[in-house]
Formats: sequence, structure tokens, C-alpha cells
Amino acid sequence: MLQTATIAEELDFHSEAYKDAYSRINAIVIEGEDEAHDNYVRLSGMLPESQEELIKLSKMELKHKKGFEACARNLSVTADLPFAKEFFSPLHQNFQVAAAADKTVTCLLIQSLIIECFAIAAYNIYIPVADAFARKITEGVVKDEYLHLNFGEQWLNANFAAAKAELQEANKQNLPIVWKMLNQVAADAKVLGMEKEALIEDFMIAYGEALSNIGFSTGEIMRMSAYGLVGA
Amino acid sequence: MFGLIGHLTSLEHAKTVAKDLGYPEYADQGLDFWCSAPPQTVDTITVTSATGQVIEGYYVESCFLPEMLATRRIKAAIRKILNAMAHAQKQGIHITALGGFSSIIFEEFDLSKNRQVRNVELDFERFTTGNTHTAYIICQQVEQGAKQLGIDLHKSKVAVIGATGDIGSAVCRWLQAKTNVSELLLVARNQERLQNLQIELGGGQIMEMTEALAEADVVVWVASMPKGMEIEASKLKQPCLLIDGGYPKNLGSKVSHPNIHVMNGGIVEHSLDIDWKIMSIVNMDVPARQLFACFAESMILEFEKWHTNFSWGRNQITVDKMEQIGQASLKHGFRPLLSLISG
Repeated sequence: MLQTATIAEELDFHSEAYKDAYSRINAIVIEGEDEAHDNYVRLSGMLPESQEELIKLSKMELKHKKGFEACARNLSVTADLPFAKEFFSPLHQNFQVAAAADKTVTCLLIQSLIIECFAIAAYNIYIPVADAFARKITEGVVKDEYLHLNFGEQWLNANFAAAKAELQEANKQNLPIVWKMLNQVAADAKVLGMEKEALIEDFMIAYGEALSNIGFSTGEIMRMSAYGLVGA
Repeated sequence: MFGLIGHLTSLEHAKTVAKDLGYPEYADQGLDFWCSAPPQTVDTITVTSATGQVIEGYYVESCFLPEMLATRRIKAAIRKILNAMAHAQKQGIHITALGGFSSIIFEEFDLSKNRQVRNVELDFERFTTGNTHTAYIICQQVEQGAKQLGIDLHKSKVAVIGATGDIGSAVCRWLQAKTNVSELLLVARNQERLQNLQIELGGGQIMEMTEALAEADVVVWVASMPKGMEIEASKLKQPCLLIDGGYPKNLGSKVSHPNIHVMNGGIVEHSLDIDWKIMSIVNMDVPARQLFACFAESMILEFEKWHTNFSWGRNQITVDKMEQIGQASLKHGFRPLLSLISG
């Protein structure tokens, strides 16, 4: 958004340093879309009344995954998928535990809020510094991601009173993981022209807006969205 | 619905306010945190005009801090302003004033180029710098303040420091057209802009700052204070009225002399009923009764349903528009602040 074209011009998309960093960031994106696909399929079993919509969303994630795989091929980069699997494992684990316990609210917070907002923030910050091919693909993806966010927001808003306490607890368990994930990729992201503070800010904006749409007050949003950031 | 985009005056101030408002997550944080913090609507405001009309508004905290400029974290500063604007627009606010450094950053870094903020396309019609009202109020402070001190403008020189800026040039236009000031002293860094202003005004004398300060009976300061700059009272005319229209306001603490009178410029006193919980964070001497004129402009625009960017772009402020906003300002209960800080 705010990083200007001049920064994008300074980036050498074909340098070894860029491609090395890209192999991990791109893998995270591919793995993230893959996780999202699996998570929406799982959620469709937990929310039979929304099954059709969730299956549609899960298919959209697979389409995104293919788009990002094409981005890697375009730069002749091999995505470091083992790194990405490890990167997502804490959130993956928490989602599996919550799903096994039939905790729909926690699952929606992890997938529809945290993972979607993380993706939206990363894509928004990436677009102005992306290569032309990846920019076009990412722009298309961002539009879809806002739809995913809407699904979680609408469901949680409709069930706000019953979901509120579980959302706050799930936030405490999972948000600190997001800060750790951001720290883990900060150096690689910087090579791609993306700054950590801008990523955190964009995440907090998307996440705060989602919490607001669900029904939380400003005070609750400020506390929830900054939870665990200190000392992360 | 009107909006105000504000910010706190320093990191220390931010910590205190966050603590007072009950946000420990924000209170213990350093500048890095504020560089990542998102904008928030922190208050809803109900304002009752002197006419009895009632309007509603939002106060949006941008999380910008002046330390971001001091430490050259320009990208963070720019993000704060654009994100706060996008946030205000998403709330459906009709007209929002860019307070404090917000409009300065917008102008300085030419943010009109950055229309697209994520999924929001900024509609600049919904924003105002508030500079027309600020310039009008400063001119009222010159006229009424001089009178209060027995300074006859007809026999006086008025220096405008920062004459080529948006507010400075508007003040010059008004003083030239609407008062009988004996001489207008124009001070600014850019000579070409100064000459253009002089041609436009059809008068005024271009001067160096020290020279102008020594000759002026009234000084309107609308430039930011260069770092480490001192003003020596002994080199000013006595008596002298200094109107501090810069941001942040610090002339009062820099000059202390019984014959030098400092007035905080661009601030209104009002008799309106303004109900907001966080008024203490705007750093006014009398928070319940004082307000930045730029903030008041968005309230006036909402009262009058002039949902347009009344003040926008550089050096577009006309005397007619100042008169228009001035009349509405009076009608709704705003008055220029006329109390003196020292003297």
C-alpha cells in the first residue's frame, strides 16, 4: 500500500538472496492456503447448515494455492514446504485439538479470523512490492480473502453472546502464536520489501475490524488485538 | 456524523493516557509498538450548538506520535495518517478534520497520491484540514488581541512567520484585505514562493526573520519551530503580541517577558455543550471550554451540512471562505481564545 514503486524497483526478483527468502515466504503462503482448505472442509462437517458455503470457500483456497505455486515457478523458485509445515504446526495443532473437542468457535477464530487476517495483512503489504506476475495473482486473492473473513464474522456475530467467552480464551491461546510467526519470517519478509511493523499493523487493523463486526467493544478490541505482543 | 483524527503529543503522554483509560497493553509500550498500532475510534462525541442543534461525531486516535518524525520513521507516520483516514471513512463519517500533525504530514508527503488504502479508496471530499477556520481564528486573535493590548493595527507592523504556508498565506490575504495593518512583513524559507505571494497580495514586505521580529508589533507564528531555536525577548519590540499558531505550541515556554504577550493561536473557546469522555487527551488548558479550531471546523461543517472538503490542497483558502466559516463559527458558539499566556 504505502511502500512506493521506487522500493519495488530496487528489488532484484532474480537475485539469489531474493529467491532464497521467497522460497520460504512462498511456501508459507502455499501451506497457508492448503491448511485453510483442510480447515474449511473440517468446519463444513461441524456446521452442516453452512456446508455448501464452506465447501465453496475451501475450493477457493485451493485455487489460491495453485496461483501461488505459479508465482514460484515464474521466479524459478522451489518452495520450502517442510519449513512451512513446521511454521504452521502450532496453529495447526490448536485447530485439530479444538475440532476434536467440537469447539466450533475456537476453530472459526483460528481459521476465519487469525489465519485470514494474517493472510490479508501479508498480501496487502506484499502487493506493492511484488513482481508484476505475483502482484496480479495476489490482488485477485485478497478480494476472495475478505469473503472468507465475512463468513466467520457473520457466524460469530450471530452467535456472539454464546461465543464471546470462548473467543476471548481462544484469542489468548492463539494470538501469541501469530506474533511468534511474524517474528520468524521478519527477516525474509524484509528481503521481499515487507516491513514487520507494517505487517503487524495491517494484521491488527484486519483483526480489529473483524472483532468489531462480531460485536466486541473498542476497549475489548484494543486488549484482545494487542494480547501477547509485549515480549513476543 | 463528523470525525476528528487526533494524536497524542509524545510517547510519554501516550503512556499516561493509555494507563488512565485502562489499557495496560498500550501503556507500557515503546515507540515500536505505536509504529505498529492500528487506528481506533476511542470516543463518541455529542455536540450541542448555541442554536440548540445537536450533532454526533467520533474521535479517531491515529496512534501517530511526533517521535516518529523526530526519528525519521516516516513510513510509519504516513501509514498512521492514511490508516486513520481509511478507518474514519469506513465508519461512514461525512466530514473528518485532520488534527495536529495529520494535515501537516498529508501535505508534506503529498499523500493525495495514496488514494487506495487496502480495500478502501479514500474519498478526499470527506476530509478537511480545518485550516480555513484556523486561519480565520488566528486573524480574529490578531485583531482582537491587538485591541486588547492597545496596539493600533493602523500604525503597526504584523509579521507572518511561515507566510507561504496554507494557513500563513490565508492569514496574509485576510490581513491585507480586511484590516488596515500599516505593514505586512512576510517571512518564509522559499524566496520564490514569497515573491509569488507578494505579487498575489499586491503588497507586503519580504524580510529575514530576525529583521522582521525586531520590527513587528504583532507576530503570527505559523511555521514549525526550528529545532533548538530560541527567541530573545530583548530583540522583540515592546509591547509585542506573539500568536503561536504553530504545532506543537511552545512559544509560551520560550519567551518570558512582561511586555511580550503570547497567545495560543488557532484555538477557540466555546459555549457549546460537548459531551466526550476523553477530552483530557487533547491537551487544552481548559479542556471543557477550548478546542483546536481545525476540529471545530468539522463540527461547523456538520452543523451546516456542508459535507465537503472545505479546506483542502495548498494555498486555496480565500477571504470569502474565511468569512463564510467565520460567520458559521460565531453562529454555533465558537470564539477566538483571547487569554494571554505571559505578560
